[in-house]
Amino acid sequence: MFESPRWVRISALVAGVALMLLVPFYADTFWMQAGLFAIAAAIGAIGLNLLTGATGQLSLGHAFFLAVGAYGYVYFASESDNHFVGLGLPTPVAAILAVLLAGLVGGIFSPIAGRLKGTYLGIATLALIFIGQHILSNAESVTGSHNGRQVPPLDLGFLVFDDSPELVVANVPLGAFERLWFLALILLVISAWVARGVLRGRPGRALNTIRDHEIAAGVMGVPVARYRAAVFVLSSMYAGLAGVILALVFRQTVPDYFGIILALDYLAMIVIGGLGTVAGAMIGAVFITLLPQVLTRYSDGLPLVAAPGSGGFSPAEAARIIYGAAVVAVVLFLPGGLFGMWTRIRLAVAARRHRAV
Amino acid sequence: MKLNIRMSAAVLAVLLAAATGCSDKATGGSGGTGKDGVKHGPGVTDTTIKLGVITDLTGPYAPLGKGLTQAEQLYVEEINKAGGICGRKLELVVRDAGYDVQKSMSAYSELQGSTLAIPQLIGSHVASALKTRINSDKVLTIPMAWSNTLLGSEYLQITGPTYDVDMINGIDWLVKTGAVKKGGTLGHIYFDNDYGASALLGTKYAADKHGLKVVEQKIKPTDTDLTNQAGALAKQKVDGILLSVGPAQSASAAGVARVAGFKGPILGSNSAYAKQLLATKAKPALLQGFYIATAGIPIQEDLPALKKIRDGYAAKFPGQPQDSAVVTGYSSGEIIGNAIKKACASKDLTREGLIKAHRSTNAFDNGQGGTLDFTYFDKPPTLQTFIVQPDEQAISGTKIVQNRTESELVKGYKVPLA
Repeated sequence: MFESPRWVRISALVAGVALMLLVPFYADTFWMQAGLFAIAAAIGAIGLNLLTGATGQLSLGHAFFLAVGAYGYVYFASESDNHFVGLGLPTPVAAILAVLLAGLVGGIFSPIAGRLKGTYLGIATLALIFIGQHILSNAESVTGSHNGRQVPPLDLGFLVFDDSPELVVANVPLGAFERLWFLALILLVISAWVARGVLRGRPGRALNTIRDHEIAAGVMGVPVARYRAAVFVLSSMYAGLAGVILALVFRQTVPDYFGIILALDYLAMIVIGGLGTVAGAMIGAVFITLLPQVLTRYSDGLPLVAAPGSGGFSPAEAARIIYGAAVVAVVLFLPGGLFGMWTRIRLAVAARRHRAV
Repeated sequence: MKLNIRMSAAVLAVLLAAATGCSDKATGGSGGTGKDGVKHGPGVTDTTIKLGVITDLTGPYAPLGKGLTQAEQLYVEEINKAGGICGRKLELVVRDAGYDVQKSMSAYSELQGSTLAIPQLIGSHVASALKTRINSDKVLTIPMAWSNTLLGSEYLQITGPTYDVDMINGIDWLVKTGAVKKGGTLGHIYFDNDYGASALLGTKYAADKHGLKVVEQKIKPTDTDLTNQAGALAKQKVDGILLSVGPAQSASAAGVARVAGFKGPILGSNSAYAKQLLATKAKPALLQGFYIATAGIPIQEDLPALKKIRDGYAAKFPGQPQDSAVVTGYSSGEIIGNAIKKACASKDLTREGLIKAHRSTNAFDNGQGGTLDFTYFDKPPTLQTFIVQPDEQAISGTKIVQNRTESELVKGYKVPLA
């Protein structure tokens, strides 16, 4: 491999993190929110990539586990009142429990997740979406049905992730979104780091072998069913964490969000970004999340796109077409996704330099 | 490695320090006062007042969103031709969110900082999700949904009676005209969402007061074939069928019920009908014994205010259908326009000034024959409902059977809040 020197990589990482830490001091509400959606999606997509990308297990149930995380947090953190039930636990505890709950539910599903492979699991997990939608709209005292439930802001004691009490750092007022940005960033870094560890170590190799040749994996002593079940649980927990962050950003959970479209979006993220890698999942998540929002916002200035309401080609349609074209283009021309393209370019440049020397 | 970490920390600190000096966010918010002494809120300058529209032009409610948005554009254009309001031109910032929660939220995040008010927000699930933020941002917002759960918030303004109120007025009318006898049974097919839930509240209340029994049939908004539900109701010999569903489901239910020999009246909520249904096979079933309880006045009624909308809309958007969305959209523009005019009179075009002006209007009259009271927000601004019937000849596709009426029954009803 033609790897860049260690100090280059570390400085790039530092610069990247510094840049991300600066965002809340400049970006307006729209960008803060869009960015938070993207970070949450990145965490969810990393989880799905462990399952689908690295292990080859198709899952359409990711949206369901996001819902488990989001509603789990609300249930654990809210106090019971006339309409709703809740446990009223301290919010950080609720957040951790919500992630564990998502893992537990994934574990309950693991007898199925361990035995079914590839596309068969995709069909089975599809059922989770419909079961989830049914529960969300009918278990009213827990989920708030169609109107959803208000999400209590996360309270760490020294810092509340809400607009009040006011917090001003360097003359910039930091509201709920700005504060959540830092938290979400930390969680993303930890999530990416853990997933990288899993993928680069023994478990990652085992998962890849299961994906590439199940029988060979079994012959080499990889407990296939157990690994499949375990990676399903892990991926559910990633989805749960993404769900908690989304709930905190939404401030009100609504069931309509956690449907089949969301599940397909997550699949599109890992396909477009690059199957099986952490960076690929993150790139895909950012691309899929930001594209429609940015196109809608800047629709006024785009050529070929008509102003909404004036008839013609609307920004939302444009976003969908680009989205579809991107999936087709990646499948046809970029087997490694956007991240794979980056790696190929880097290798090509390095190879040329190497030859020149 | 140790050096690297220390270096990283130093770089970070320097960058952070540099960052804070020149951020737009550090200014301490918008505001200020115009040359004419009018206090400015978000989206207001000396020359323009920006208004945000979060609509659906590509999702399931695209026909509604298009009608609403174009009617609002018509209103804004007419106002601007007449010199604007407060010496300022109105400007609509339209964002198509396609009935999607996340897209609606990002549109809201953009618009809440750059516009004064939001005359259109499509999707009651979106409104529910944004309610907390709308309240803390103090944005006067008109949700284009009529479920009771949208009441109780100072900054959300519903434009007419809620679905439950419509149902109470409608059922009262059925009983008064003898179409349904006391002690009879009503079958209610409704969507499993807040629209259906809201309408069902009204049905239960009215049925209780009139001594009627109710048979409930809950369906998903994605179900379009109502053969089982309508057939079951016909078999149980109900005396009337209520529909709180979409137009496609109404057509299916009415057709099936009539084929199964159901002779009684069918009453739909205001979203249960669209003129396009008269071009389908369900037409004979809809022209006979099918009624709609609605807040909206048919656009062809002989009133100068409606004629102005008809002519203006036909001139600006020739050949486009003039359904109830056009009247609703135009009226929502007028409601916000009225609030801006009043706020201007007290020289306060801030969000606070706007809501104060809006909530001081106790008899808003835009020439459509009724008035709206905005001084409270724990009940709808009016409790009057029209009973209309499909009519092929009419522009709106409906004709009035009973003019706007507030039934005795609804006077004793307390609309439940979220």
